[in-house]
Amino acid sequence: MKILVCIKQVPDMESRFKLNAKGTWYNDQDLAWRMNEYDEFAVEQAIQLREQLGEAEVVVLSVGPDRVKEAMKKALAMGADRGVHIQDEASYEKDPFQIASAIAAYAGDQSFDAIFTGMQSQDRGSAQVGVLLAGMLGLPAVTTIVSFEFDNGTATVRRELEGGLKAQVKLAFPALLTCQLGLNTPRYPTLPNIMKSKKKELVSIPVADLLKVEAVTVTDTIRFPEKKGGGLVLEGDIAEITEQLVSILKEKTTVLK
Amino acid sequence: MELTREIYWNIGSGAATLIPMYLLLLAATCVFAWGGWQRIKVFRLGREVQRFDDLPRRFTRAIFQVMAQVRVMRVVGAGTAHGLFFWGFFLLFVGTCLIVLQADFTDPLFGIVFLKGRFYLLYSLVLDISGAVAIIMLAGLFVRRYFLKPEGLETRREDAVIHALLMVILLTGFVIEGARMAVTEVGTDLALWSPVGLLFAKALSGIGESSQRNLHVGLWWLHLLLALSFIAMLPFTKLRHILTTSANYIFVDHGPKGGLVTLDMEDEEAESFGAASLGDLTWKDIFDADACTLCKRCQDRCPAHATDKPLSPMKMINQLQEIAFATPEASLAETVGKDEIWSCTTCRACQEICPAVIEHVPKFVDLRRNLVLMEGEFPGEEVMTAVDNTEVNGNPLGLSFAGRGDWAEELGLKPLSDDPEVDLLYFVGCYASFDKRNIKIAKSFVTLCQAAGLKVGILGKEEKCCGEPVRKLGNEYLYQSLASENIERIQDYGVKQIVTTCPHCFNTLGKDYADLGLDVPVEHYTVFLDRLLDKGQLKLGTPQSFTCTYHDSCYLGRYNDIYDAPRRLLKLAGGSVAEMSKNREESFCCGAGGGRILVEEKLGTRISETRAGMAAETGSPLLVSSCPFCMTMFEDGIKGAGYEETLQPKDITEILVERLPVA
Repeated sequence: MKILVCIKQVPDMESRFKLNAKGTWYNDQDLAWRMNEYDEFAVEQAIQLREQLGEAEVVVLSVGPDRVKEAMKKALAMGADRGVHIQDEASYEKDPFQIASAIAAYAGDQSFDAIFTGMQSQDRGSAQVGVLLAGMLGLPAVTTIVSFEFDNGTATVRRELEGGLKAQVKLAFPALLTCQLGLNTPRYPTLPNIMKSKKKELVSIPVADLLKVEAVTVTDTIRFPEKKGGGLVLEGDIAEITEQLVSILKEKTTVLK
Repeated sequence: MELTREIYWNIGSGAATLIPMYLLLLAATCVFAWGGWQRIKVFRLGREVQRFDDLPRRFTRAIFQVMAQVRVMRVVGAGTAHGLFFWGFFLLFVGTCLIVLQADFTDPLFGIVFLKGRFYLLYSLVLDISGAVAIIMLAGLFVRRYFLKPEGLETRREDAVIHALLMVILLTGFVIEGARMAVTEVGTDLALWSPVGLLFAKALSGIGESSQRNLHVGLWWLHLLLALSFIAMLPFTKLRHILTTSANYIFVDHGPKGGLVTLDMEDEEAESFGAASLGDLTWKDIFDADACTLCKRCQDRCPAHATDKPLSPMKMINQLQEIAFATPEASLAETVGKDEIWSCTTCRACQEICPAVIEHVPKFVDLRRNLVLMEGEFPGEEVMTAVDNTEVNGNPLGLSFAGRGDWAEELGLKPLSDDPEVDLLYFVGCYASFDKRNIKIAKSFVTLCQAAGLKVGILGKEEKCCGEPVRKLGNEYLYQSLASENIERIQDYGVKQIVTTCPHCFNTLGKDYADLGLDVPVEHYTVFLDRLLDKGQLKLGTPQSFTCTYHDSCYLGRYNDIYDAPRRLLKLAGGSVAEMSKNREESFCCGAGGGRILVEEKLGTRISETRAGMAAETGSPLLVSSCPFCMTMFEDGIKGAGYEETLQPKDITEILVERLPVA
C-alpha cells in the first residue's frame, strides 16, 4: 500500500504575529515553526496503518519554502519513509485551490491507496486543501475523522459532527481522510529514528513544475480581530456578588425572563 | 618477670598446630577467592567506565575515608556505633596479624620478638579495650535492629548470622584470654594491662586448671574456625561491604560533582541509548548495586519516598543487584518500575549521604534516557507537550521565544546582539524570563548589578532553555541541541563572565556545558553578590532586621556545596535565619528537580507542601530561597498546604533590592 500524508509547517500559535508589508499575510520574522497539529495526527495515523499492514510506504509531502523541510524531517523521524518537498517561496500567496492542484499534479500518477491530511491548517484554517485534492484525484473523502480502523481494504472511521454527534463511515480505499484532534496521540520520535530520518530520501520539486492554474480566490487584506470590551470581574462577599450577578442577568440578558 | 606471653601457649607451635591451621586458612582463602571471582564476573558484564585513573589520589582518599569512617559516622547513633565497632574490630585484626607475624615468621626465622616489654603492655591494653568497645557497639546495634526496629530497616537472615558470628568471635576471644590468664597471669601486674581479660579470668578461676586448659584449647580452635569462616563468608554476605565500600571509595567519580555522562550523539555505531538491560549499565553501576548495605539512609532522605511515592533509592539499587545476580535478562525499567523511575527529583540527597558512595542519580537518568530516547516515552502527556514546547520555542512553558527578553526592556537592558560590550552576561533561564512571579527575581538581580555599577547583558530571544529539565528527564538529544546553540551564542559574543539566578542553569552551564566546549566562568548570583558586597562594590542601606527560614536548593547546595553565601547575604540584609530541621546537606527538595517541574505530581502527597510545612514549623513568616524552580513550587506548596496567611515565599534578590539605599 502506498500512503501519502500532506503536511504543512505553521507558526507556533503562541508566536507574536505581525502583518507583512502588503497586509495580506503575517510577517515571517521571529516566528517559531512547527508541524501543523492536525497534520501530526495524519502522520501518526499513516504510520500506525503501515505498522498494522507490515508492508506499506508512507510518503510525506509539504508545500512551502526550504524551512518546511524541518517539519518534514519530524514526520520522517516519526516514521514516514520518504519526503516530497514542493519548493515554493511564496506558498502563502497561493490559495487552497492552487495548493491542492500542485499536490494533485504530483500525486496524480502515483496511485496512492490512502491520503491523510490534517483537518485544516492552524494558520489559514481554510480546511479546503484535503477535500479539493480528493476532488481533483477523483477519490472519496471523509473529513474530521476521530477514529480509524482498517480491515481487509475497508476503513471504518468516525467523524465529528456538530453538537457532539459522531458519524460512523465505512469506505473502501483508495480514499482521502482529513484528521481531527482526538484521532490519536502522535508519537515522540525516538533517537534511532531521528538518526535514520537524516538519511531518508527528501526530494524537492519546484512548484512551477507542478502548478499550472491561477488562483480562484485572492486574499485582499487580513487584520487582527478588534479588541472588544473585556470581561467583568465582580468583587465582594458572596451574597453581594450573587445579587450583582442576578441584576446584571436581569437587566442585560434574557436568561431570567 | 618478662613483659610478654607465650603465643602458642597450651596449643603448641609445632606442625600439629601449624599444618591444620594453615590448611584451614588456605581453604577459607580459596572459598573467599572463588566467591569474589564469581562476583567480579558479574561486574564485568557491565560496560567500561574509567575509574582507574589517578590511582595514588584514589587510594589516599579511600584509605582516609575507610580509616576515619567519615561517611558512615555522619549519622550520629548507628553511624557512630559502626565507626567505633570498626575501629575495635580493625585493631583486633591488626593485633592478630602481629601475632601471626611474630609467632610464625619473625621469631622462628630470624629470632625477632617484638611483642614484649612496654610495647606488649600497650598492645594488651589496646586490644582489650578494642574488644570491649566492639562488643558493646555490636550489642547496641543488635538492640537497634532487633528491638528498636527503626522504620524501613530491612532485616534478613544474614543479619542474624553476621551478628551471631561477630559476637561469638569477640566473646570466645575474651574467654580464651581469660582461661590463659587464669593459669598464667592472674595475680601479676601484667594482668592489669588486660582489664577485660582479667574479668573473664576471675570468672573462670573456680573451674580448676585442667578445665581452664581444656576450655582454652577448645575455644582456641573454635575461634580460629569462626574467624576463618568470616573470611570465607565475605563475598557471600553483606560482610562484603568491607571490601565493596572500601573499593567504592577508590572508584568514586572524580568528575564535577553531580555530573552525568555526556552521550556521544554523533556516534553512528550506537544502537541503543540509556540503560534497558544489565549490559547497558557500567561495571561501576553493578558494583554499586552490590555495595549497598541496606542502611536505608537514602530512603530516609528521599523526598519522593517521604511523600508516599513508590520510589526508594535503596530498593532501586537492590533491584539492580537482583537483576545482576539472579535475572540478568530482565528489563531494568520493568523491574524498577516506571513510576519509580519518573518519581526521582535528582535531588542527590541519597547520593550525598550514602556511606558506600553509591551513585544513584545517574542510574535513574540512564533508565530515563532509555525510555525517552529509545521508546519515546514520558511520564505524561503534559511532559510531552513541555518537551515539544522546548524544542519549538526554547522554553517548556510554550511561550514565544521572541518575547524572552521583554521583561528587561524597562531596565534598559539590551541583548548582546545589540550591544556585546558588557561586564557580565546574565543567563536568565526560562522561569525568570517568562513566569510573572519569577520575573521579579530577574529584575531584582539586574537592579542590584546596576546599583553596583555593572553593565549587564542578556541573550534575549537568542537565549534558549539551558536544557537541564529535559536532560534530567532523559532527553539528552534535545539537551545537547539546546546547549550547543547557547554555547555558540555565548562564544560568538566573547562573553567573559556568566551569572545565573537559577541553580539549574548554574550547574548546567558551569559544569555540564564544559563537556560541550563552554569555557567561561559561571557563577550563581548568591556567590556573585556576596563578593560584590564583600568588595564594597555593592552597598546596602541600613539593615532592617527580619526573621526568615532559608531553603537550600538542591542544585546550589548538594550539587555545588554553596551553603554559606546565601546565608551571609541574608545576614547582611538584617535577617536572622531560623533553620528548618532539614537544612544544608540534608535539605529536602522542593519537588522541581529532575525535570519534575514539568510533570504533574499525581502520586502520593505533594513534595512542595511537605517542604512548606517544614518551613511553617520554624514560625518564620518568610520562606527564602534562591532558585526560580523552588519559588514556583513554594508559591503552589504554601497555598496547597494552607499557609498563605502566615508564610510568604521570597527570593534573596527580592530582599536585597529592598535594602538598596534610596538614591
